[in-house]
Amino acid sequence: MIKDVIKKIDEVAANDPNRIVYDYLGKTNTYDDLKKRSDVWAHKIESLDIPAKSPIMVWGGQTFEMIASFLGCVKSGHAYIPIASYSNAERLTMIQEVSESKIVLAIDKLPDVDLSGIQVVKPDDVKDGSYQIDQNKFVEGDDNFYIIFTSGTSGKPKGVQISHANLLSFVNWELSDFNLPQHPSFLVQAPYSFDLSVMSLYPALTAAGKLVVLPHDVTQNFVQLFQTMPKLQFNVWVSTPSFAQMCFLDKTFDAKHHPNLTHMLFCGEELPHDEVATLKKKFPDAHIFNTYGPTETTVAVTQVEITDDILKKYDRLPIGRPKKDTKITIDKSKGDKADDGEIIIEGPSVSKGYMNNPEKTQNAFFKQDGDKYQSHRSGDEGFFDGDMLFYRGRIDFQIKFNGYRIELEEINHYLDQNELVRYGVAAPKYNKDHTVKQIVAEIELKDGIKRKYSETVLTKKIRDDLAKNVMPYMIPQRFVYREKLPISQNGKVDIKSVIEEVNK
Amino acid sequence: MDTKKEVLSILKDLTSEDLSDKMDENIFANGLMDSMASVQMLLNLQDKFNIDVPVSEFDRKEWDTPNKIVAKVDSLRNE
Repeated sequence: MIKDVIKKIDEVAANDPNRIVYDYLGKTNTYDDLKKRSDVWAHKIESLDIPAKSPIMVWGGQTFEMIASFLGCVKSGHAYIPIASYSNAERLTMIQEVSESKIVLAIDKLPDVDLSGIQVVKPDDVKDGSYQIDQNKFVEGDDNFYIIFTSGTSGKPKGVQISHANLLSFVNWELSDFNLPQHPSFLVQAPYSFDLSVMSLYPALTAAGKLVVLPHDVTQNFVQLFQTMPKLQFNVWVSTPSFAQMCFLDKTFDAKHHPNLTHMLFCGEELPHDEVATLKKKFPDAHIFNTYGPTETTVAVTQVEITDDILKKYDRLPIGRPKKDTKITIDKSKGDKADDGEIIIEGPSVSKGYMNNPEKTQNAFFKQDGDKYQSHRSGDEGFFDGDMLFYRGRIDFQIKFNGYRIELEEINHYLDQNELVRYGVAAPKYNKDHTVKQIVAEIELKDGIKRKYSETVLTKKIRDDLAKNVMPYMIPQRFVYREKLPISQNGKVDIKSVIEEVNK
Repeated sequence: MDTKKEVLSILKDLTSEDLSDKMDENIFANGLMDSMASVQMLLNLQDKFNIDVPVSEFDRKEWDTPNKIVAKVDSLRNE
């Protein structure tokens, strides 16, 4: 059992300084590099005039400097907020407003944004040197380790606070319950702003393993992706099911070309039955795990190895058994079906709540008298068959699309704000695997607009406007213009019936 | 197998739109398809026509209208 994530990583560096920790398309760094560079970052951060324990924004991609700066933050007693550099300027501003962070580490070039009152620190400002960092300053216990921002219903993102204690519970579980190889090397495909990346990051660093990076922009381009992928060698595949499906396109995605691959861990969205059947043909000896967990409970809290027996037994795959330190119950007062209910998660990896947002925190978290740990209302609908948990959908309007978590109401909020639009509803369109394959915007225009513009022009205008306020993956693929959208009894658009209509 | 009919049926499944009168419309420029949808399209085409799309040389410009997709599929089927 690991007792302290940061000290454990430093311990690996002390015992095995020349071991490779990071491989970014062939550019490698050792544990000693990580120790030194994170200490330099910590020393720099200590010299800045910012309040103790205040969070630090980190803007960048997936380079070695990113993880060195993350560790620099937590070594100097500050939580970090990872923000992917493909985000728009508005995202950075909104996260700054919610978190009240006074500093951003610009690992990549910042977008054109007004940052008055905010300190910007660049890698060039942080000169190499040799510093001793006081271990008493390290983030520990209930102090925040990282804060990941997710979609929020009112257009304001929610910052999920993950403490050192939360992270420790997760890391110890992953290192004990998945039977991983010694010195595991992990694929890192997800950007660090997405907590799927944590499934690779800290288990690798604390187990003296290696991170093999597949950068986001490479995955956005088939040619680059399929030229790069066969060159990468790792033991542990971590991705969303949709990313692995994309890899099916390439003939070299099999055990012959990836002989070291022994484990596949899936998280972030529903794992289709067909996909596992195909994976078992391509990687007959690999252990394939399905996992489940909201960001609010630190990456994942249930897991199950999808064996041939499980594949035979279930058409829709289970999401697994809860980790030992965690209790999951089903609140049957919620949800539409008789045996289902809302999945409630109680355990040491459950977040203390959303940053500076007591209202949303109170809605989604609780701790009753006598409870040892915080509980989270997941909003996910599910049921138990014996000790095995199954997921069946959402009780609200949150979806997963290509692994990204999206509050549809956030898109609706910005559609409604558009000067051309009276009502806008973003509706998910599902395929037979219960996976969202498309987001459709159903739009009722304001009077007279339809005569003024063609639909092509309208769509371009609305799309461009949305792009300023939401992440690129939240922009609907299709725009459909309706005379009238259905209105429910409370006078608002009836979102449920719009979604039903789209899926007819 | 009628290539055009099958291609249109795959595209309809992905975009929910009948593109039979938009054979030369750019399906990426108008937002109907994104990179994940094009993955699904290629997987479906491989299944349906038992062809091998050389993805490591994939050039989106050669696949961006229904007509071009039909032509590509026909040339791959004849290989």
